[in-house]
Amino acid sequence: MLIEFNCNGKDVSIEAPPQTRALDLIRDQLGMTGTKEGCGRGECGACTILLDGRPVNACLLPAAKLQGCEVMTIEGVSDGSGGLHPIQESFLDQGAVQCGYCTPGMIMSARALLESNPDPTENEIEEALAGNICRCTGYGMIIRAVLQAAKVLRGERKR
Amino acid sequence: MTADQLTIVGKPVRKVDGVELVTGKAKFAGDLQFPGLLHGYARRAGIPAGYIKSVDVALALKVPGVVDILRGEDIPGPNIMGILPPYDQPLLATEDIRYEGESICLVVAESRDAARAGARAIKIDLEEIEPILDIDEAMAEGSRKIHPGGNIVVSKNLIKGDIDKGFREADVIVENTYRTSHQEHAYMEPESVCAVPESNGRVTVYASCQSPYHLRGHIAANLNLPASRVKVVQAFTGGSFGGKDDVASEIGALAAVAALRTGRPVRIAHDREESIIGSNLRHPSRIYYRTGAKKDGTITAREFKIILDGGAYASESPFVVMKALIHATGPYSVPNVRGSSTAVYTNKTYSGAFRGFGVPQGIYGSECQIEELALALNMDPLELRRKNGLKPGDSTGTGQIFEESVGMQACIDRVDDCRKEMADAPEPDPDRWLYGTGYSGVIQGISNGAEGIDVVGGSVQAMQDGSILVGVGLTELGQGSRTVFAQIAAEVMGVTIDQVTVRPVDTDSVHDSGPTVASRSTTVGGMAVWKAAQNVKKSLVSMAALMFKAEEEMVILKENFAILAVDDSARIPLASVATAAYWTGFPLMDLVFSKAPVADYDEETTQGNIYIAYNYGCHLMKIRIDRYTGRVEVLRHVAAHDLGKVVNPLGVEGQVMGASLTGFGLAHLEKIQMKDGHIQNANFADYAVPTIKDRIPTETISVEDYNPTGPYGVKGIGEPPVAGAAAAFANAVADATGIRFTRLPITRQDIVKALQKQQEDSHGSFSKDWRR
Repeated sequence: MLIEFNCNGKDVSIEAPPQTRALDLIRDQLGMTGTKEGCGRGECGACTILLDGRPVNACLLPAAKLQGCEVMTIEGVSDGSGGLHPIQESFLDQGAVQCGYCTPGMIMSARALLESNPDPTENEIEEALAGNICRCTGYGMIIRAVLQAAKVLRGERKR
Repeated sequence: MTADQLTIVGKPVRKVDGVELVTGKAKFAGDLQFPGLLHGYARRAGIPAGYIKSVDVALALKVPGVVDILRGEDIPGPNIMGILPPYDQPLLATEDIRYEGESICLVVAESRDAARAGARAIKIDLEEIEPILDIDEAMAEGSRKIHPGGNIVVSKNLIKGDIDKGFREADVIVENTYRTSHQEHAYMEPESVCAVPESNGRVTVYASCQSPYHLRGHIAANLNLPASRVKVVQAFTGGSFGGKDDVASEIGALAAVAALRTGRPVRIAHDREESIIGSNLRHPSRIYYRTGAKKDGTITAREFKIILDGGAYASESPFVVMKALIHATGPYSVPNVRGSSTAVYTNKTYSGAFRGFGVPQGIYGSECQIEELALALNMDPLELRRKNGLKPGDSTGTGQIFEESVGMQACIDRVDDCRKEMADAPEPDPDRWLYGTGYSGVIQGISNGAEGIDVVGGSVQAMQDGSILVGVGLTELGQGSRTVFAQIAAEVMGVTIDQVTVRPVDTDSVHDSGPTVASRSTTVGGMAVWKAAQNVKKSLVSMAALMFKAEEEMVILKENFAILAVDDSARIPLASVATAAYWTGFPLMDLVFSKAPVADYDEETTQGNIYIAYNYGCHLMKIRIDRYTGRVEVLRHVAAHDLGKVVNPLGVEGQVMGASLTGFGLAHLEKIQMKDGHIQNANFADYAVPTIKDRIPTETISVEDYNPTGPYGVKGIGEPPVAGAAAAFANAVADATGIRFTRLPITRQDIVKALQKQQEDSHGSFSKDWRR
C-alpha cells in the first residue's frame, strides 16, 4: 500500500503493509523515534502526533489514515533553524521535563491547544492534556510551562 | 563556603540533558536500531501456581520468522536472578510456576509479530494447583511451601528500651491495623533492552535500567562469562522509581543469551501489560500499631507488627523489610519500642523496590496512629507532632543520634505557619462539602544504610580548553542527577554549567557505584564528584599560581577564569591554564571512590547507626469531600522537607510534586485488581495512574539544615514526599468525615459507601461536629 502525506513539511511517499500502525510507520520506516509508545492502546498519549493540526494517538491510527494529511511529529516542532520552539523552551525553563518519555506527546498536545487557543486557562490546559500521562512531574510544572509558552507566543514575554 | 558565595549550587538550572528530550532526539533503548535486529518475546505461564509437565516448541519453531526459542536449560549460567540473596527467581521457569507472569520460553524472531505468533504456538502442559494468595494462608502452619525454605522471605525485629515499662507509663493507648495495596510504578516507558554481540566475544547490552552494574552481574553470570566481557550501557530511561532493576536484569540476561546464540542483536521490549504483570509492584502491607502516650502527649511506647506481601519472589523484600522496620517509629522520639517486620511469599507478581521502599506503608499507619492519639488526648495534632518530633541529639527508632541536620521541628513550624494563614479560609456550601485537614510527619533514610556498603565512583576530567567531563556510576532516571552532578562540578571548578558534560553511564567507563536507590545520588554521588573535582581543581590552581607567580591561596577559579584574589581584573582564561597544566604535566583527571560511613547495628535488635542522614518532613493537606458523591478535591497541599541544602530548586520542586502525586495515587486512586491470582487491570484504562485532572496543588517548602555528610550540606529528596502525601491524605479524609479508613487506597467509592453507612447509623442526618 502506497501512502503519501506531508510529514513535518516534507512530502513522503512510502510503501507499507496494510495493517501497519501510523506509529510504526513513523518510527520504524521513517526512522523518527521521537514519537514514543507507552501503552499501545491509546491510554497514555506518549505517541501523540498532529494530524492536520489535531492531536491523535499514533498507536491507534492505521497508517493508511495518514494518506493526504499534514502530519507533525516532535521532530517538526522547532522551526528547523536549530532553535527550539517556545513550548520546548518553556518545558525546560519550568522543569516540566523529568524522564522525558511523555514529553514529545505532551508538547504535541500543547502545541495543538495553543494553535487553537492562544490564551488558555489552567482548566483548558488540563482538558487538552488529559490524555497525556506523566508519572514523574505531578503535572504542575507542565501547566506552568504551557502558560509560559502561551505568553511567549502572544508576544507578552520574551522567553 | 557560605550559600551567598555559591554561584551555581542552589540556583535553578535547566536539565542539562533536556534539549534532546524536548526535541525527541534522545535515544531510549527502544529507539536504537541495529542491522539484523531480532525481537524476543516471552511465553508466560498465565496461571498463578503449578508445575510444568511438558513444553513442546516444535510447531512454534516452524512459525515464519521464528529464529530460536530459549528454555531454562539453554541458559549457560545458573538461570537465576535476584537482587539479593536468596537469589530465588529463574529467568525461565523449568519446574515450578509461582505467579502468572512467570516466563517459560523466550521466542526470538525476525519481527515482534512473529515472536508473538511463535509464543502462542508453543504447547505447554501445566498442572495447575491452588494458589496461595493471602498472607495469613502463606504463614499458616502446614501451608504449602512456595519455595523450598518456606513462605517467610525474611523477618526482622526491632527492640529498644523496655516496652512494658513504656506502656505502663502511658495514660492513653491507641491501637489499630492498617492495610495498603499493590501499586504499579507506571513509568511511561515500558522496560526495554537491546543486546548486541560484539566481534571480540563481548556483548553490549543497551538498557532502560536503574542499576547497570546489577545488570552486568546478572548477565555475565547467566552467560557464564567474566563480568569484564559484558558491557551495559544505560540508554535514556523513561522513569524507573525502583522498578527497572530486577526486570531489567531478567530481560537483559535473556536478550544477551539470545544474542550470543544467534549472533545477532536482540531486543526485548515489554508491552504495558507485561510491564504491569511481569515486573515488581509495591508491597501490599498489613501493619498493626499500638502507641502509648502520657496525658501531655509524650509518647512512651510503640509496638508494631509489619507484614509485607512479597509475592512470588524475594526481589528486594529483605531490604524493604529492613527499611519499614527502621522507620516504624516515624520522625519521633520513642523511648520504648518493640516490633517486627516480615515479608512472605504468595503466588502473585513479586513485590520489590518502589519509591519510598516500605516507608510509605509504615508512615501511613504510623501517622494515622499519631492522629488517633491526638483525638484520644484531645490535643492539637501538630502540637503532638511537635512535642515528639526528633531534635538534634535525640535517638531515632534504632537508637542512632544525630547532633546535626535534624530539621523536623522547622518543618513542623513551617506547616504550622501555613495552617495559621489558612485559619480564616472560607469553607463554602457546608451542606454539600465536608472539609478536612490532615497532617503527616515524614522520615526517610538517605544512603544504602543497612543495605550494604555505600561506595560511589566519580570521575572529573578537565579538557585542555577548560571544559569539564564528569562520570558517575549512578543513573539519570528523570530525577535530574546529571544536572546536580554538573552543578557541583561547575561550582568546584569555577566554570559555567555549559562547560560541563556529564556522560551517560556505561559499565566500561564508570566505576561501579552500586544501585541508584535510597535517595542517595545527590548526597553520595555528589560527594564523589565534589572530591574528584577538588583534586583536578588543585592542578589548575597550582598551574595558575605559577602563571601568576603568586601563592596558590591567592588563586580563585570562577567564571571560566583563574583570578587573583586581590585583583579581580587579573584573569587568565581557564582554557589557557588547563592547556598549560596539561603541557606541564599536572594530572587533569581524577577518579574518586567516595565511601559513606558503614552502618553498624545489632542484628537482633536493629539498634545502632544505620544511615548517614535522614530527610525529615511535615505535610499538610486540606481537602473537601462531596458528601453525596464522595468526590475529593485537594484544596491545599504543603510539603515541607529538610533536605539539607537545595542544589537545584527546579529539580527539588519536581521531585516533591511528582512524589507527592504518586503518594496521592497510592492513597486515593491506584488499585491493582487481583482475582484468583490474576491481575485484572493491567492497562491504563482500568488502573488509575493520576492524570493531569487528578493533580494536587503541592507547595514545596525546603528547610535547609546543613548535613555534614553531603556536599554543600545536601540530603536526598526523591522518595520522602510519597509517604507524606499519602498519610496526610488519609488523615484529611478522617478529619473531614469522622471516619478512620484503615486501608489504602481510600477510593471515592469507599468514601461514599462509608458516608452512606454513617448517615444510616445516625438516622438520616450527617453528624455535623463529630469531633466532640
